[in-house]
Amino acid sequence: MSLVRETTSLTQPLTSSKRHKSVRKSSRKIYKPYQDNPVSSDDEDKDAERVDSNDPEEMFQNIQYQKEIIANIRTRPWPMRRKLKVLKQAREIVLKYEGRLTRTRGYQAAGADLLKKISRVLYNILVLFIPWEMRIKKIESHFGSGVASYFIFLRWLFGINIVLTIMTGAFIVLPELLAGAPFGTTRSKTIPKDQIASAQDLDTIWSLGGYLQYSVLFYGYYGNVRKIGRAGYRLPLAYFLVGMAVFAYSFFTLLRKMAKNSRLSLSSASSENYTFCWRIFCAWDYLIGNPEAAESKGAAIVNNIREAIVEEQEKKKEISLAVLISLRILANILVLLSLAGSIYIIYFVVDRSQKLEQQKAELTLWEKNEVSVVVSLITMIAPSAFELVAQLEMYHPRTSLRFQLARVLVLYLGNLYSLIIALLDKVNSMSSEITGNWSDSTSYLATISQPAETNLSTIVPEITDGRNGTFTITVMDLNRTTISVQHSIMSGPSVPVLTGANQSVLYEYNSKSKQDQCWETYVGQEMLKLSIIDMIFTVASILLIDFIRGLVVRYLSDCCCWDLESKFPEYGEFKIAENVLHLIYNQGMIWMGAFFSPCLPAFNVMKLIGLMYLRSWAVLTCNVPHQQVFRASRSNNFYLAMLLFMLFLCMLPTIFAIVRYRPSQHCGPFSGQEKIYDIISETIEKDFPVWFSKVMGYITSPVVVLPALLLLFMLIYYLQSIARSLKFTNNQLRMQLQTERTDDKKKVFQLAAARLQPPEGGEQKPEQESDITSMESPARSASPPHRNGTVNKILSPGRHSNSIRTITQSASRPEDRSPSILVRPKHSSAYRIFSSPSVPQREIHRVEYIPVRHPAYSCRSKSYHHMAYSPSVRFSESVHSDPVFRKGLRPMHQEPGIVTAQSYLGRRAHPTRYVILNEHEPRKKIMRSTMRLPRHYRVVDEPTEIVELYPRNVKCYIPRSQQPHLSEEEEENEANSGGKHGSLGHSHRPKSLSDLHQRSPARFYIGETRDSRLARRVYGEEEEEDYLQWEEESPRSRSRTNIKVSETPHRHGELHVKPKNKRKGDPSLTESDSASLESSSDQQNSSTDQYIQVIHNKEKYLKHNTKMTKKKSKTRAELNEAGSKDLVCSNV
Amino acid sequence: MGNKQTIFTDEQLDAYQDCTFFTRKEILRLHGRYHELAPHLVPMDYTNEPDVKVPLSLIVNMPELKENPFRDRIVESFSEDGLGNLSFNDFVDMFSVLSEMAPRELKAIYAFKIYDFNVDNYICKEDLEKTLNKLTKEELTPEEVNLVCEKAIEEADLDGDSKLSFADFENMISRAPDFLSTFHIRI
Repeated sequence: MSLVRETTSLTQPLTSSKRHKSVRKSSRKIYKPYQDNPVSSDDEDKDAERVDSNDPEEMFQNIQYQKEIIANIRTRPWPMRRKLKVLKQAREIVLKYEGRLTRTRGYQAAGADLLKKISRVLYNILVLFIPWEMRIKKIESHFGSGVASYFIFLRWLFGINIVLTIMTGAFIVLPELLAGAPFGTTRSKTIPKDQIASAQDLDTIWSLGGYLQYSVLFYGYYGNVRKIGRAGYRLPLAYFLVGMAVFAYSFFTLLRKMAKNSRLSLSSASSENYTFCWRIFCAWDYLIGNPEAAESKGAAIVNNIREAIVEEQEKKKEISLAVLISLRILANILVLLSLAGSIYIIYFVVDRSQKLEQQKAELTLWEKNEVSVVVSLITMIAPSAFELVAQLEMYHPRTSLRFQLARVLVLYLGNLYSLIIALLDKVNSMSSEITGNWSDSTSYLATISQPAETNLSTIVPEITDGRNGTFTITVMDLNRTTISVQHSIMSGPSVPVLTGANQSVLYEYNSKSKQDQCWETYVGQEMLKLSIIDMIFTVASILLIDFIRGLVVRYLSDCCCWDLESKFPEYGEFKIAENVLHLIYNQGMIWMGAFFSPCLPAFNVMKLIGLMYLRSWAVLTCNVPHQQVFRASRSNNFYLAMLLFMLFLCMLPTIFAIVRYRPSQHCGPFSGQEKIYDIISETIEKDFPVWFSKVMGYITSPVVVLPALLLLFMLIYYLQSIARSLKFTNNQLRMQLQTERTDDKKKVFQLAAARLQPPEGGEQKPEQESDITSMESPARSASPPHRNGTVNKILSPGRHSNSIRTITQSASRPEDRSPSILVRPKHSSAYRIFSSPSVPQREIHRVEYIPVRHPAYSCRSKSYHHMAYSPSVRFSESVHSDPVFRKGLRPMHQEPGIVTAQSYLGRRAHPTRYVILNEHEPRKKIMRSTMRLPRHYRVVDEPTEIVELYPRNVKCYIPRSQQPHLSEEEEENEANSGGKHGSLGHSHRPKSLSDLHQRSPARFYIGETRDSRLARRVYGEEEEEDYLQWEEESPRSRSRTNIKVSETPHRHGELHVKPKNKRKGDPSLTESDSASLESSSDQQNSSTDQYIQVIHNKEKYLKHNTKMTKKKSKTRAELNEAGSKDLVCSNV
Repeated sequence: MGNKQTIFTDEQLDAYQDCTFFTRKEILRLHGRYHELAPHLVPMDYTNEPDVKVPLSLIVNMPELKENPFRDRIVESFSEDGLGNLSFNDFVDMFSVLSEMAPRELKAIYAFKIYDFNVDNYICKEDLEKTLNKLTKEELTPEEVNLVCEKAIEEADLDGDSKLSFADFENMISRAPDFLSTFHIRI
């Protein structure tokens, strides 16, 4: 209950907790404390409190909910005190109510609790065993996450190697040590007599000969007895399986880690999206806690930002391209040359060592270690050389770093490969010698004894059957001629009996030659040697290059003529990338040699431990952070990818050797077999029941294998195609996001442009503008009939009337004679099409008509600079050309969905989000198509930059949605629709058309105010406001009447036209269109409006139908009075 | 272990482990660190939940925070009073959020708080300028700062109010490759 006490800072909880304690058992009252605790403001708390019902299911759900809270509470962004309190409450609720549930559930819960506790304890313990946590932390605080990533990587490798060590140790080395034949009992486990003298010499040990060679370190030592010990442990089988398991395990862990990493890194799209933001908000490494590191980090950040500024300002000044290209070519040639050179040197050295071995009995220390030393030297020097070369190239630092890494990786791989190839080459020659046991041993002898060489080589082959005799002779011969061999043989303990002499000598020779011929041991030896030498060089380089240099720079800088610390030698930088690559290389060696030298992983573990301490010490004492910060997080998977690459390439030679070469005949667990993997089939044959081997036989027969392979391929193909499709959708989504983003940006520009625009527009073409707006506004604002009416009123000029005509026509299109009836069908059709809830529709509409209007607008007032946009011009042109337009018009009428689509297409910019949310099916399709043609709508977007329009839209639009309220004063609508855009301009409205023109500037301002509202995107608010406005306006009905009066003549004129339209329009749309087309440009505007209307109508219709049926009649009557009856009526 | 148990009860430790990303040992270590900050203020015994707060000036001297240009903001945004006085709860909370295990979303929330210098729930231009100046120790010229701020806002501002709301910020930061690895303090 101390938990409870934690909340003491609140006085109430304290008391409540006490109370709670006392009441704990009487569960009923348990909520009291919470109920009178007002501090709990969370939904969770309240929800928790409400759980009083006895319904077990509800209770259970509540408990689940509380448990969820408990599980996720740590990710809530609350202050700790609140978290603790909520946690406590949730726990109590769970505790209390769980008891009430069925017993089994109680037990389950208890079990889960226990499990959780145990796992927590285990985790607590486990954390203790994560090595070097503090050390890495210290490094992190000094150098930031980049350098630390090296050490974390090292630690991870260390973990892998530990597992590998355990695998080999537990299943190969230990059994062999415990149950295998002890040292000296079999030939492969005894040191040859001639070597025993030198077996303990340091240089022999150093070159892994002598005792080391005949130990568990290497392949050759392991016996080939099928079962060892009393339990019958199958060592050869285990050896093979473990050898494969090492690779399998490495692959598995590596891939799992990579998958985890990639899941973490949330696949960021193009990295250049947020250059500056990232450089600001993600630049500082919070881990840094060291003043020097902080300083250098600060400097790096400044550099980074400046670099970004420069890159932003201008895309690089070119220093004469020819020079640059030639320099780069030169650099690449140099790199290639050095790569080829290093490969050649390695091959040469291996070859030479082979020859030396054959020629000399005693090799010097240098000669023995030549190969590994040379390889290590190359791996050490070449990267620096590459770095120098890279400076020639003058790439961007990041690019050059990539190049550098790639080159070093290639170098390392080349080294390893040339080494292993050379070794295998040697093995090849060995095994070819082995073909005849005799010939090889003799030839070996022959090489040693020059004088008898010819005799032996010629004689020995012939002696296949009676070889003993002849051989003794030759041996004697040899003894005479050669010195060292003779002695060892003659003085050897097995020689004394003359009759057995032949045998023993034979045995001696055989064993010697065969042990030497153990090529697996030889490869293992080389790999281990390489690993050791590499370690030595690493240590040496750390000491020399980092430590000594650091010492010199620090202490000699005073007595030197230039500043050592900042000029030439400086302090060594910690080169993360190179060091990581070196680790990878090192691991590659281990993988390559692990099969032939089971203790290699164990050795690597020790090496890594040493490296860890040495490196961390060196980094902390004598390194400065790297100037070029290598992206840590992303590089993580980069490292792993390289490691994976390395693993694969290192596995190849081993597998190749296993498959290609015959195992040595007299050493190792597989001696006497034709191929190493024969052990599997042998085991299956001998140790499993017959049926199993039969089954295996079937399974491995082509009948099964081929279909299985095929199946695999199919599976791969299937998965790949799925992945491809996922990637495709991913891309699409990303593109969508991006367009949305760019559109959003564009909107911002539009806003900015809008501020500049109004003056120009107003001054230049006020009249046109006003016309347009007037036309648009009615269309938008009023319900269709009203709209028409208003249009009539407002648009006195002939062209306006035309436009109106078109509108009416659009309305009448599907319908019959009488206007009142006319509109209704249209509505219904629209309604049918847009059956979704009115709110989404509203938004959609907004989206829709904006675009349409814009083109119209643009075509009308050409003075607008938007016209400058070629796309918009194009659009307007198309509008202008009558036939085209007509054609376009018809389909639109027929399929409103397409209209909306196009409108949507036209203007997707600002309201995109909402649109996407609220779409109907058809529109979705359309959107998809638009997505495919982002060009297109981007192009069309441009005109939308006439900002004044859409703010108004928003405004106008909303009133419409409000029409239920409005319908009472529908008459006003007419008036309002005319002047509604200017909610501010009440005064204007009453006045006649001429006023409208004047009004236009005012409208602009309104538009701007709307903009802000738009940004808010709170429909509710807007609606309210609008409603208010409406109410305000209602008293002004008289103004409406004024307008009506003034405009009636126009209307009448239009009315005349209208019937005509209808008449024509009824039979075919084209006719009506043509009629409407009588007036060219204006018409187009109006027509565009019409589409919009179509869309609006349904919505209005909806609402009217549902809510305001009775009022309609009233309004109708009123409207009739007004004079624009027919149209208005038609709407109702 | 004996004296460790007296610092917190098991229930407290459990609760802390539930509420943070720390293990029991780390919580105890955190308490140690907290205690170190003001040995005379902070009691060793936390079982009865003393109401102790350590002022900002002491906390920012922790080696983990000392070099951080945003140390004041970090501490302030994690303090309940907004002035930088941290109770132990706040202290634990701070390092929990900044720990390696904390999810990106949580980190983003607090990162936003930290960079929002004037606590108006928007990162506006002044905030950006302050951020930048702290980051670069005022080595950039005002023109450069201005340019960078404008660019940054232009990049991340989605709703066009020329300041970054949390949505903008989160959107931006969720794509940053380095954010998770750099926005963390190991204690």
